[in-house]
Amino acid sequence: MERTLANFIRALRMADVRVSTSETLDAFRTAEITGWRDRTALKEALALTLPKTADEKDAYDACFEQFFRFDDFRSEAAEADSQQDESEQESSPQSGDGEPGAEGQAQGDGGGGQSSGSDVEELEELIQPGEMSEARSELGQMLMGGDASQLSLAIANAARETKLEEIKVFTQKGLFTRRIMEAMGLAELQQELEELGASNTLPEQRLNAELRRRRDGLREQIRDYVERQFLLHADARGDRLREEMLRKVKLSNVEVRNFRHLRMLVQKMAKQLATAHSRRRKVTKRGQLNVPKMLRRNMRHGGEMVELAWKSTKIDRPKVYAICDVSGSMTTYARFMLMLLYSLEEVLPNVRAFAFSSDLGEVTDLFRREDIDDAIAMTLKDFGGGSTDYGQAFEDFERLAGRDLDHRSTLIILGDARNNYGQAQTELLRGFRDRSKRVIWLNPEPEMAWGSGDSEMRRYQAHVHQANVCNSLVHLERVVSGLLRAVS
Amino acid sequence: MNEAAPRPDPAKLIASVDSVRAALQTERYICSSQIATAVYLAWHLGKPILVEGPPGVGKTELAKTTARMLDLPLIRLQCYEGLDEAKALYEWKYGKQLLYIQVLKEQLGEILQGAVGLKASVSRLHEFGDIFFSEEFLEPRPLLRALREEGGSVLLIDEVDKADQEFESLLLEMLSDFQVSIPEIGTIKAGAHKPLVFLTSNNTREISDALKRRCLHLYIPFPEAKLEQEIIRARVPDIPEELRRQLVAFVQELRELDLKKVPAISETIDWARTLMLLHSEALEADLIKDTLNVILKFQDDIETVEAELYSITGRALKRG
Repeated sequence: MERTLANFIRALRMADVRVSTSETLDAFRTAEITGWRDRTALKEALALTLPKTADEKDAYDACFEQFFRFDDFRSEAAEADSQQDESEQESSPQSGDGEPGAEGQAQGDGGGGQSSGSDVEELEELIQPGEMSEARSELGQMLMGGDASQLSLAIANAARETKLEEIKVFTQKGLFTRRIMEAMGLAELQQELEELGASNTLPEQRLNAELRRRRDGLREQIRDYVERQFLLHADARGDRLREEMLRKVKLSNVEVRNFRHLRMLVQKMAKQLATAHSRRRKVTKRGQLNVPKMLRRNMRHGGEMVELAWKSTKIDRPKVYAICDVSGSMTTYARFMLMLLYSLEEVLPNVRAFAFSSDLGEVTDLFRREDIDDAIAMTLKDFGGGSTDYGQAFEDFERLAGRDLDHRSTLIILGDARNNYGQAQTELLRGFRDRSKRVIWLNPEPEMAWGSGDSEMRRYQAHVHQANVCNSLVHLERVVSGLLRAVS
Repeated sequence: MNEAAPRPDPAKLIASVDSVRAALQTERYICSSQIATAVYLAWHLGKPILVEGPPGVGKTELAKTTARMLDLPLIRLQCYEGLDEAKALYEWKYGKQLLYIQVLKEQLGEILQGAVGLKASVSRLHEFGDIFFSEEFLEPRPLLRALREEGGSVLLIDEVDKADQEFESLLLEMLSDFQVSIPEIGTIKAGAHKPLVFLTSNNTREISDALKRRCLHLYIPFPEAKLEQEIIRARVPDIPEELRRQLVAFVQELRELDLKKVPAISETIDWARTLMLLHSEALEADLIKDTLNVILKFQDDIETVEAELYSITGRALKRG
C-alpha cells in the first residue's frame, strides 16, 4: 500500500499540488491512523494533509477519484448480461490506436481483434449452459472465481511490475495493456484455452467459451485502467511542457486558445512574487522610546542608557504608478501588459494604473472593480486603438498624478515608445524621474529596434533609471522580481 | 477550572471521527465529517490545524468548542499587524529587573564582604548565582503559556493572516517541535501534553508555504442547506421548523447573489434570534425588509437585495 500512496502523491504533484517530503511522511502516518478500509475517511483525512489551498483541494479531489477507483470488475451476473456489449466494444474503432499488435499476440489462436467477439458468440450459441469443468491456470481460476477486488488488486500489482506509471505518450497504451496481461499470466491461460478448444467434452467446451469471454472482459478492463493511469501520469506532464513553452514564447505569438493558460501563469507568477517580497518594516528613529527594550539593551552598559530603542515601527508601503500604452502599434502586447498591470494590482497594495493611446486616463478603479477579463476588455475599448502620443500622455499624467509622485513612488511605463514623430516631451519624463524613486520602462521590442523609425526609445532611455526588453513571461518574471525588490 | 468536575477522558472522546463529531455536537457545534476528521487527526498526529474559510463560518468557534469539549484551557492569541515576540512569546519583567539591580547595588557591600582587591570581588560576584535572566523574571505570553500548561491546552492563534510575515517564521519552531528558544535561558519544551493548536486565516494574504507545510489544512466553506438547518436548530432550538427552513433557504439564496459580503452562519444565527424576538412564524417580504440589516452589512448590498426582494423570497420559499 505504501507504493500505492507514493504513486498517488506523484500523481498529485503532476496535477500541480505541491507536496513536500514532510507532507508525504504525514500522509503515511495519516493513512496508518485512518486505515485503508474506508475510502471516504481516507479521502477526507488525506485532504487535510496534502493539498493546502482551495485550488489544490479541487485538483486533489479529481485526482483521488481517478486514482482510487476500484469499482472495476463487474459481478458475474452483470457480466453475463453485458456480454453482448463487450463484444461490441471489442471491435469498436477505439481499440485501433496502436493496438493491433497487442490483439494479435493476445489472441494467440489466430483470431484477429475483430473476429474475437463473434467467435465467442458462436461458441456461446452452440453450447447450452450446464455443467462446467474447473479452470486449471492461475489466471483462469481467478477469472472464474469472479472476485472483483481480487482481480482489481492483481491488475494494480501487474501494473506496478510493468512500471505503468512511466507511461509517456498515448501510443504506449496498447503496449502496456499487453504487458500487464502477460504479467498476470496470459500465456498459461492461452495454453489452457487451446487445450480446451481441442477437447470434445461439453463441460470443457463451456469452460472454454466462458474463459474466453472473461479474458476479453479483463482486457477491456485493463485498457480502461491504463487509460486512467495515462491521464493521471502523462497528461499532466503535457501541461507542464506547455507551461514551459508558454513562458519562453514571445507574447505576441501566443495563440488565442492558450490565453487562458497564460493568464493563469501570470497570476501564479504574481502570487509567487508577492510571497517572496513581502512588505518591509522599518523602525523609525523618532517618537516614543521603547523602554523595556532599551533597558535590556543597555544592561550590558551597566544600566546606563547608551543605546536608544524606539517604539514605533513604520511599514513601508511602496507606491507604484503604471502607465500602459494600448495604442495600435501595441495591440498584440497591450493585452499582456494590462494583464501584468492587473496582476501587479493584486500583488502590491498601492498601484495606480493608467492607460493611453493618445489621451491618458486612470483605470485603477476599473481594475479594482472588475475581474481581469472585463477590466482588460473595457480598458482596450476606452483607450485602445488610437495613434500613440507619448507627449500628450505625459502631459495628462502630469496633470492627473504628477503632484503625487514622491521619493517613495515607482513609475513603470509599459510601451514601445513609437511616437508617430510627435512631440517627445522628454523634459516631462525627466521631471517624473527627478521626483520619484525609480522610473522603469518596459519595452516589448527587442533592443535592436530601439530608436529605429519613429521609436523614441533611445531618447527616453536617457531619462529613466532602467529600461528593459519585456516580451515573454520569462522576461516579465525577471523584470517584476527586480521591480518588487526595488519598490519594497 | 472546576476541580470537582470529572475530567473527560480525551482518548475516549477522540477515539474515532464519529465520536469527535458526536462530542462536538453535544457542545452544540454541528459540523461536517471533514471538520471532525481534522480534529481527530490533529490530536493523533500532534499537528496544528490551519483553518481557512470565509468569515463567520465558525473557525474560531471550532477551537473554542474543542477546548470546551476536552475541558482544556483555551489560550487565545489574536494576531494583528505589528504583533511581535514580546507580545506573543515572552517578555522580561523589566520593572522587576530594575528593582533587582537596585537591590543588588545596595546589597553589593554585603556580598563582597571581606573580598580584597578587584580580582577577588569579581570572582565572588561570579559565585553569586545569576538570576537576572531566569524564569522568575520571565513574563510568559500566550505561546509560551500554552507550552507550559501542564495538562495540555488548546491554543488558538486567530487571524494569523493579519500578522506580518515575520511573525509566521516565529511560529515555525513552536508549531513543528512545540518548543521555544529563549536565548538567555535555553529551549523550553512542551510537557507531556502538547497543546492542540488552531490557526485561523481569512485569506487576506497567502500564508507562507513553510507554515502550511507544518499544519493540517482545513477549509470550511459555507454549509449546505441541510447542515445549516441543523446548526440553526442547535443554536436557536426554539425556532419553529417552518421558519427555520425558509430562513436557511433565503440565506442560501442570498449567497448565490453577487454581494460585497454574503451572510455567514453567524449572521444566519443572529437573524434567527432576531426573528424569534419578533415572534415571527413565517418569512414574509415585509419582515425580511425590516430585518435585512441583520444579515447584510453594507448599504449597497441591502439595496441590491431590496430591489429583487420579492423574486428572491419567492425562490427561497419554493426551495424551503
